[in-house]
Amino acid sequence: MRPDDRSLDEEIRGHLALSIKERVEGGEDPEAARLAALREFGYVPAIRDSMRRVWYSRGFDAAGALAQDMRIGFRSLLRARGMAATVVLTLALGIGANAAIFSVVRGVLLRPLVNRDENRLIYIRQSAPGIGAENTTFSVPEIDDLKSRSTTIAAFGDFSTVDFTLIGLGGEPRVVKAGVVGGSFFDVMGLRPVLGRLLNPQDDGPKAAGAVVLTYRFWSASLNSDPAVLGKTITLGPRTATVVGVLEPSVPYPADTEIIANVVTSPHHLGATMVTSRAHRMTELFGRLAPNASLDDARAELTAAHAAMMRAHPEAYTGKGSVQLKVTTLRDQIASPARTILLVLLGAAAVVFIIACSNVANLILARSVRREGELAIRAALGASRAALRRTLLAESLVLCGAGAVLGVILARPFVAAVVRYAARFSVRALEVTVDPTVLWVGAGLAIAAAVLLAYVPRLPSAGSPAGLGLASGTIRLTPATNRRLRVFATTQIACSFVLLAGAGTLLATLVSLETAATGYDTRHVVVFDVPTSATGVGFGDATVMGFYHEATRRIARLPGVDDVAVGSFVPWRDAGVFGPPVSFTVDGYEPENGEENPRAGFRIVAPHFFAVLGIPMIAGRDFNDEDGAGAEPVVIVSQSVAQRLFPNGDALNRKMWWTDPYFGSRRQPRRIIGVVADADDEHVVAGPALTVYHPFRQIGVASRLFVRTAGDPYALVPAVRRVVRELAPDQPVERAATLADVRSAVLSPERLNAFVFSGFAGIALLIAVVGVAGVLAFSVSARTREFGVRLAIGSAPRHLLAQVISEGTLIAAAGIVAGALGGYALARTAGKFVEHVQQPGVVPVVSAAAVLAAAAIVASCIPAARAARVDVMQALRSE
Amino acid sequence: MTRNNDEGRLELLQGTLDMLVLRTLQWGPQHGHGIGQAIRSQSDDLLKVETGSLYPALHRLEKRGWLKSEWGVSEANQRAKYYRLTALGKAQLLRAQDRWSLLVNAIGRIMNPARPNEE
Repeated sequence: MRPDDRSLDEEIRGHLALSIKERVEGGEDPEAARLAALREFGYVPAIRDSMRRVWYSRGFDAAGALAQDMRIGFRSLLRARGMAATVVLTLALGIGANAAIFSVVRGVLLRPLVNRDENRLIYIRQSAPGIGAENTTFSVPEIDDLKSRSTTIAAFGDFSTVDFTLIGLGGEPRVVKAGVVGGSFFDVMGLRPVLGRLLNPQDDGPKAAGAVVLTYRFWSASLNSDPAVLGKTITLGPRTATVVGVLEPSVPYPADTEIIANVVTSPHHLGATMVTSRAHRMTELFGRLAPNASLDDARAELTAAHAAMMRAHPEAYTGKGSVQLKVTTLRDQIASPARTILLVLLGAAAVVFIIACSNVANLILARSVRREGELAIRAALGASRAALRRTLLAESLVLCGAGAVLGVILARPFVAAVVRYAARFSVRALEVTVDPTVLWVGAGLAIAAAVLLAYVPRLPSAGSPAGLGLASGTIRLTPATNRRLRVFATTQIACSFVLLAGAGTLLATLVSLETAATGYDTRHVVVFDVPTSATGVGFGDATVMGFYHEATRRIARLPGVDDVAVGSFVPWRDAGVFGPPVSFTVDGYEPENGEENPRAGFRIVAPHFFAVLGIPMIAGRDFNDEDGAGAEPVVIVSQSVAQRLFPNGDALNRKMWWTDPYFGSRRQPRRIIGVVADADDEHVVAGPALTVYHPFRQIGVASRLFVRTAGDPYALVPAVRRVVRELAPDQPVERAATLADVRSAVLSPERLNAFVFSGFAGIALLIAVVGVAGVLAFSVSARTREFGVRLAIGSAPRHLLAQVISEGTLIAAAGIVAGALGGYALARTAGKFVEHVQQPGVVPVVSAAAVLAAAAIVASCIPAARAARVDVMQALRSE
Repeated sequence: MTRNNDEGRLELLQGTLDMLVLRTLQWGPQHGHGIGQAIRSQSDDLLKVETGSLYPALHRLEKRGWLKSEWGVSEANQRAKYYRLTALGKAQLLRAQDRWSLLVNAIGRIMNPARPNEE
């Protein structure tokens, strides 16, 4: 349809032919007729252009020229395949990593939540940093106080987490994590059901029927999105409830639960302790801002209300803990744990991109030096600087475009990996999918890189005679180009150094964590969660005690089992579930002026616990079966408790009692019958552990089983499960793991951090080494003649070898110094904006420098060897 | 015919070239040169269309679907592009003619207001 240039020309020729013929027939001389016809027609190129312009826009023509240049670029790159492949791969890594991490950052940190008016949704947290409690949550009386003193919050929603043994949705009975919420929760959160209904104020109170809502993930993943689940009755521990609805997909916060139930399903929530005890904190609090109220208003009002509340009830707030209130939007709260790590990752990806670009810039610079002759000739023939630049741009667009395509393909698996990784820090990461953002980021980075790269080489000026001299095909390295090459190589080394030092720091941290002494025998102990009453009630229930007693007796008789005990707390895995340490005192202890009572962890263990876990008894005796409900109340304390409160070493047979309001006013004295070594079960890096152990038979339920074996611990798991099921067919037996694996799982974020960062550093190191080697190889090949002359006049080959290696070392040294300065500045700056920035230690920094220097020297050996082997005659003839 | 003196020649009114081209093609397919000559001769040499206006106009009309072009052989024994009116083009010509009569009429009333009762 559209006429091409040839058809336009032909149409004009046809017109002119007719016009000439007419004039000749009118009697004119043919030559005069031709000139007259042309004159009458007008300026042919202009008219042809205005005809063209009807069909083709100006942009189309410009794009056509660029496309033409790109075709040429593509063909000329095919002739330099090795270089092109290196550039494309390098860029693909840089672009892929950035695109992947940016999509996760966008999904986790920037995207709004699905909740209605999510920017009005706030999260309120109480913490006691003085005693290391990041989140103490709230008690019911505290929530009532805040509610009554607040006008900026339109409505409050509350959420607490409990474990239920769930029966009735198919499969084995199992423990599920459940949310227990008040009727206002879903309305405050602004969430809708996808099926049935959600909970509302009619579901509140002790007389309502049990009702549960399933979370979308549980419903779709475990129940195959079966709509028939509506109306089903399920058993939750001692109570029953009806499934009334399914929640829309939303961020599970504060806990990733499978079901959310109303208060009546949890007897504990209806108990007096829950309702009246100010210190009984287990509820998370949300709020929806009142119209016209801002987050700052709410923060000011709630902080004031909280301060007034603390003044009114000083007994429930430890001064040492410096209890405080934090009010943030829910979105920020959900994103905050992942923020630092994602921003660090984004930074690392950006550094990799810089390294990739520097490397590519070097390759392109080297290539442009080789083709300086071609460009000089084109300039001499009249090509404008813009046209030359367009040639370079077209070529770098081809390279970067290919890099971007490959990068976006790479980004898919990258996103999957980063999501799995980031999910440990923020549940929102699970919602992240590969979306068009990846494409946009990839394309944007590619265009940025292409434009930058097109401006790296210098254009020959048409007037310079030096340009034409280059047309013979020899390479001449000008000092300016040489400087640029070295600057890019130094940049690569500097950036790699920052990444390597960072990775080294993380690795050093990880190694020190993994090798730290724990106080436990971690390899021979396998733990199980065997919760009988998954709602936390049944203190001292005789049948429950009997069950555990019988179970341990039978498990102890299994072949391969050395010993078995019951405890309340799986080290590290259960960290935090008992809340902050609680205050106690001992007879004869006088707190100094202004000092508060000491605090200790509260644990419940059965006889043999210390033997099973390999915690040495330092003094006194272990619990035995006589330490029962009717007998004298006794405890065992950790060595730190004994040393701190009984500096004279006379802890045995003294009395202690809990003073925390949690225990109410009955201050039951308990006799200390033993002292054991410290074992910090809260922190992976063991600190001094103030712990008080109670005998299982005196104080209540402990639902963790610890089995010690000399053989393969996991081989015991089926036998243990069988024994327990023989006693109680509906009993869940879950999360079997050795203590070593428990610790390892707790450390996995650190391990992943180190792993991911090392990956980045490895890529960076590889690119940088290739970069240094490339620069030196190029410089050697450009100086073939120089080396030839030097060899001819008697220079020893090893001198040339040493010189090239020292050039490589110089680049590396400059890069390391620049990297060290830059990295130091970066760490300082980061420390101002991000909490807990770890300043790198000496060992990782020095090793990073050593690794880089060694790699650079190795990389310069190959070009150095080539310099030393230059053939004198050939080199001298070459110009 | 030799070169004419340009004196006495009229400038084409803005927007009338398209109409004249369409009108000229009513008698059958014609190439660009022929269209130019036809306009000139039918206006007794009063109107002369510049090739710089005519050819872009032909392409514009073709792009709008009012003309269709095909290659043929001209009187000079050379390939030439012949333009032909399409059905759309015919409809457009009728519309243009109507508007033109209205315009002439309206301008006439203003320019010759002396004979208001004639119609």
